[in-house]
Amino acid sequence: MTTLWDTTGTAVVKALAAERRTGGAVMSGLALTLVVVVDEKDVAEAEAAATTAASRHPCRTLVVIRRHVDAPVPRLDAEVLIGGRLGPGESVVMRMQGRLALHAESVTLPLLAPDAPVVTWWHGEPPDLIAHDPVGVFAERRVTDVRRATDPLQALRQRARDFAPGDTDLAWTRTTAWRALLASAFDTVRAAPVRAVVHGQETDPEALLFAGWLTSRLGFPVPVESPNGQRGRGGVLGVAVDLDDGGSLNATGAAGREVLLRRVGQPDSTVALPERELGDLLAEELRRLDADQPYADALGAATGTPGLSARSSHRVHIWRDPAEASAGEARPGEQTDVGPYSAPDSGGSGADAAGGTAGGSPDGGQADGGRAGSGGDGGRAG
Amino acid sequence: MSHELLDPPRPNPLRDPRDRRLPRIPEPCALVVFGVTGDLARKKLIPALYDLHSRGLLPTDFVLVGFARRDWGHGDFEDMAREAARAHARTPWRDDVWSRLAGNIRFVSGTFDDDASFDRLDDCLNEMRDSRGIKGNAAFYLSIPPPAFPTVLKQLARTGMADNERSGGWRRVVVEKPFGEDLGSSRALNDLVDSVFTAQDVFRIDHYLGKETVQNILALRFANMLFEPIWNSNYVDSIQITMAEDVGIGTRAGFYDRTGAARDVLQNHILQLLALTAMEEPVEFSPESLRTEKLKVLRAISIPIGEEALDRYAVRGQYSQGWLAGERVVGYLQEDGVRPDSTTETYAAVRLGVETRRWAGVPFYLRTGKRLPRRVTEIAVSFKRAPHLPFSRTDTEELGHNQLVIRVQPDEGVTLKFGSKVPGSSMEVRDVAMDFLYGEAFTESSPEAYERLILDVLLGDATLFPRNAEVEASWMVVDPLEEFWAGRIPASYRAGEWGPKKADEMLARDGRAWRRP
Repeated sequence: MTTLWDTTGTAVVKALAAERRTGGAVMSGLALTLVVVVDEKDVAEAEAAATTAASRHPCRTLVVIRRHVDAPVPRLDAEVLIGGRLGPGESVVMRMQGRLALHAESVTLPLLAPDAPVVTWWHGEPPDLIAHDPVGVFAERRVTDVRRATDPLQALRQRARDFAPGDTDLAWTRTTAWRALLASAFDTVRAAPVRAVVHGQETDPEALLFAGWLTSRLGFPVPVESPNGQRGRGGVLGVAVDLDDGGSLNATGAAGREVLLRRVGQPDSTVALPERELGDLLAEELRRLDADQPYADALGAATGTPGLSARSSHRVHIWRDPAEASAGEARPGEQTDVGPYSAPDSGGSGADAAGGTAGGSPDGGQADGGRAGSGGDGGRAG
Repeated sequence: MSHELLDPPRPNPLRDPRDRRLPRIPEPCALVVFGVTGDLARKKLIPALYDLHSRGLLPTDFVLVGFARRDWGHGDFEDMAREAARAHARTPWRDDVWSRLAGNIRFVSGTFDDDASFDRLDDCLNEMRDSRGIKGNAAFYLSIPPPAFPTVLKQLARTGMADNERSGGWRRVVVEKPFGEDLGSSRALNDLVDSVFTAQDVFRIDHYLGKETVQNILALRFANMLFEPIWNSNYVDSIQITMAEDVGIGTRAGFYDRTGAARDVLQNHILQLLALTAMEEPVEFSPESLRTEKLKVLRAISIPIGEEALDRYAVRGQYSQGWLAGERVVGYLQEDGVRPDSTTETYAAVRLGVETRRWAGVPFYLRTGKRLPRRVTEIAVSFKRAPHLPFSRTDTEELGHNQLVIRVQPDEGVTLKFGSKVPGSSMEVRDVAMDFLYGEAFTESSPEAYERLILDVLLGDATLFPRNAEVEASWMVVDPLEEFWAGRIPASYRAGEWGPKKADEMLARDGRAWRRP
């Protein structure tokens, strides 16, 4: 393990290469690079999940922790581990402060495993537009978690608006067990389903995605209804399907408990529905690195946004400065730097325009820009 | 009931081929295990069922029926199964997961020749068709010694339990190796099994084929452009397949002394590995096409001809007392339950050929043994040397054959050995190894072979199961060897050595050497 304080992106790349040499045969074979975007307070949780996932899919894990974007001095601290705390693979944990946090990609890009797919996972509030976050733009697969948003329903709708093939959400992953259970129960059903209802909160993203999936598969709208006395419980709580031969299929339960399956003409049975840990969910996401069309269909049906699969999977970075959201907070003396993929129509405020003109100068116009190495390089790349 | 079966089943609207998150889950069914108190059931089958259940891969309506001689009440079997699952399961233990499985466990007590107990088993299955919704589907797992097979199969035939039509669902049978002890007995056994069950409902378990790496041989060969063009006698010098065990015969003396290494391992595991390594590309990845190609290879195998060639290229060994992993171990003849004058082999090495255009002239060296230095199974493909080397002889002195090694266990993965320049001012080339590790060691939770195979039986997927023609073709290879070995005394090797000297001489004669795995 190498710990680097107040370092540069180049030093991190060198440290990783050195660790690989001295680490010996700990690691062989890389299937992908996993980029984890997380806030300081959730680091332990995200690291545990990434470790579980990395133990099933050999990967290089890059943990990006952004903090104090408004700190006056950009700074990078990094920890390089091979075969250590974060599982058998290679991992780099990076804490980025100040304006560098807006240019995280300048540090992560040279660290990506050559020619291997990149998966970016946001363990926190999902970005409003993934195009705003450059570490999401270069990823083949983008994994968000609307359950961690302040308003999950709104976040789910936003995911549909912002959707591009290759996006998935852990709310969808959490429905897998329910979907498997129902699909398996349907293996022996000979009649055609005519009506179906999903039980859960009307605003719960998992219940909505589950219903959206049923809608897309069965060809008729499947509503979400909140069952009596179970207000406030999250996730899918049950499903009822009526069949054209008068039969029906009824499942009630919840993750972490058992599910009671009732079918007309058959004895009741109970099924275990284990509550899956974050690491298991993430590992399921890493199993497939191509676009998930059933998710696109389900998300489209859940939010009334058709044609999601047909969208382009290509995203272009859109520069957005969080400092501008709360205007006038820009510190005196700090000049705004500009993102490498800066879109011409972005921003428009005076500060950003100034940054745009300064974009050509290698030092970004900052006295202390050099300290964070790659952070200051943002201007050069632009 | 039967006309309903003829209806083409409505496709399940919730199944989508693009939806690869949903696991394959078998139809409602029962698994009946004969010999449920045995080692295999306790250490492998019941734990595998628990693991499948906790991964949510068993159907909602699933019943496990144990059949054994014990005079047990229902609760006794449940206790034993619980202990077994708890001790050997790979997934974390959870009481609630178990309790749901335990709710669907039945025990039928009886002996194999007692008609009444099989009638009780039949009643039990019929009763559960309605009460548990298992729809007449059942798989019978014969985890019993081969001499008991005929009795049990006849009972299954007598009661009609093996009859798909009568049960209104599917009835399958799972047979463990050994599949007979020579061609004759294997044919008799196959005929018997096939007369009771339909041929497609017979699943012969070779647990090696359930291993991830073995399945990966197919991916490696047929999903890549890189290897197939050189996978033939133009480029391949020889192939070595090794299956070594460090353990002795344990408590299996009675069985082992009758069987020996060639029948126990060579006939099934090693010849299956050979078939997968040498076969042509199947037309599609379906059980039928795979079996067709494997069978072609097995039928094309040639063995050394003539006394002298057999003496040189079919070597048997028996371990004597020695030291292994820092402990003194006794010789084979001193093991409990082994006849002091036994000539059973604990090691066998043989050179085979595959008489096809692809492989003509390429020797396949196979070896297996007990009390060898470590437990390892691997397939090593050794390539020819470059026909011309532009370097001086002294530069390439350390350069050996290029090798591609498929490590089946442990450390599942692939190693590629090739020449590389030694850093420095002079031109020196030496062998280096490039390792790819993507198996159980890395993914701790890669499914146990038995989980995969039980699931496949319940799903009716026969891709990973050898069919009887393959078994018979394998006996045709082993029988002449056994005939030659009969009455001869196996060469002796010290426990903890890589086999007898004769085996080393066998390769030395061809200008080659065994790879140290």
